[in-house]
Amino acid sequence: MPNEVRVKIVSHADIVAARQEARALAIEAGFSLCDSTLITTAISEMSRNVLEYAQTGEVTISLLRNGTKSGVKIVVQDCGPGIADIGQVMQDGYSSRKGMGIGLPGTKRLMDEFEIRSKLGNGTTVTMKKWNWNQ
Amino acid sequence: MSNLAAAIKVGERYQNALLEYLAAPEETALLGGYDLGRRALSEGLGVLELATIHSSAVATALNCAPDGDERERFLSTHTAFFIEALSPFEMGHRAFRDANAILRRMNDMLEGQAKRIAYALHSEAGQLLASLHMELANTARDLPPEKTTHLTKIRETLLEIENRLRNLSHELRPPVLDDLGLAAALALMAQGVSSRWGLPVIVTVDLKGDLPAVIENTVYRTAQEALTNAAKHSGANRAEVRVRQSDRKVVCSVRDDGNGFDDTGGLRKSRPGLGLTEIKERVGALGGIVRLARNGDRGTDLRIEIPLDI
Repeated sequence: MPNEVRVKIVSHADIVAARQEARALAIEAGFSLCDSTLITTAISEMSRNVLEYAQTGEVTISLLRNGTKSGVKIVVQDCGPGIADIGQVMQDGYSSRKGMGIGLPGTKRLMDEFEIRSKLGNGTTVTMKKWNWNQ
Repeated sequence: MSNLAAAIKVGERYQNALLEYLAAPEETALLGGYDLGRRALSEGLGVLELATIHSSAVATALNCAPDGDERERFLSTHTAFFIEALSPFEMGHRAFRDANAILRRMNDMLEGQAKRIAYALHSEAGQLLASLHMELANTARDLPPEKTTHLTKIRETLLEIENRLRNLSHELRPPVLDDLGLAAALALMAQGVSSRWGLPVIVTVDLKGDLPAVIENTVYRTAQEALTNAAKHSGANRAEVRVRQSDRKVVCSVRDDGNGFDDTGGLRKSRPGLGLTEIKERVGALGGIVRLARNGDRGTDLRIEIPLDI
């Protein structure tokens, strides 16, 4: 299995493909069923944003190795309108989610590392990592 | 949509989606489970409702299974679908945990501010007023007696200001907590209640170390409110305050042998006043609980439990 996979996100079916690839890598990295599900949840949330705000984008999933520790890295990139105020979108309750802790801030809580870069008119890139601590 | 209507609607879709997944356990069906969980969360359904929906969907699926082998396969695969549906709730749960931690930090910050303001009012403003009193006394000495009436009025007003500032400072943070610590402060309070109202109070404090300032203050306020109620309204002959640390919580119980409270009215009707409502708010903000119960045949047992780490 390759250590890096790219999936173009254009439709709902692509979210399924991205999740499938991420799940396969998560299993390879030794993640439990619960943690693999959290990883696919992060993919679903971020890809959903891509379809909603940028229409198209790309998810890159790669296997991480650091000594004996392994994990997965997910980069979700789009060329959409970008985010004017990142601090605002990272607040719980921003947008129409009624403050239930999902969306961007919810996804951040599922991962060990989460970074979002965006420039108005130049798209958005979210980079996330999750390590398998049970090794 | 009402919760019940939403639960029925999500339930029907969940049933179909689970059957699809069990027939062909693939990623598309898992994403369907996740989407349903997300929808359930948005519709205001709780995690227990989702668990009930899942359990009933599994029961139906097992009934539809053609043979024992298929049933075995269903039982070993349905969990992955359930975990997908629960995943949005996990995000909500983590958000709640974070919000609690933030609330606690804010409480500590507010308590710290209250402490500083209380000190400034009590100590700094108090010293300034004391020096003003001395100035006035000196001025009064230099004036003929008939001209000191006005100064006397000023002095009375100053005493009133001093009194109000002291009360305000005490309301913000009883200085005795910082001066003596919780155990001694409660013992002093018991002495005061005993001498002012003739109600003997036994205080027992069993703690493993210092408590966070905000919890100390809440325990102190609770004891104060409950003892004042007992002394003023319940006709109690004795009262007891017990504070102890158990596992990861602090429990404070204030018991008396007074008239107790009315079962139907409970806390609000028989014990009017904002005091107990405020206790509930303070304790609730710290993630704790308040219980009001009878103390044996007669009397009241007001108990608060505050977790030490959320």
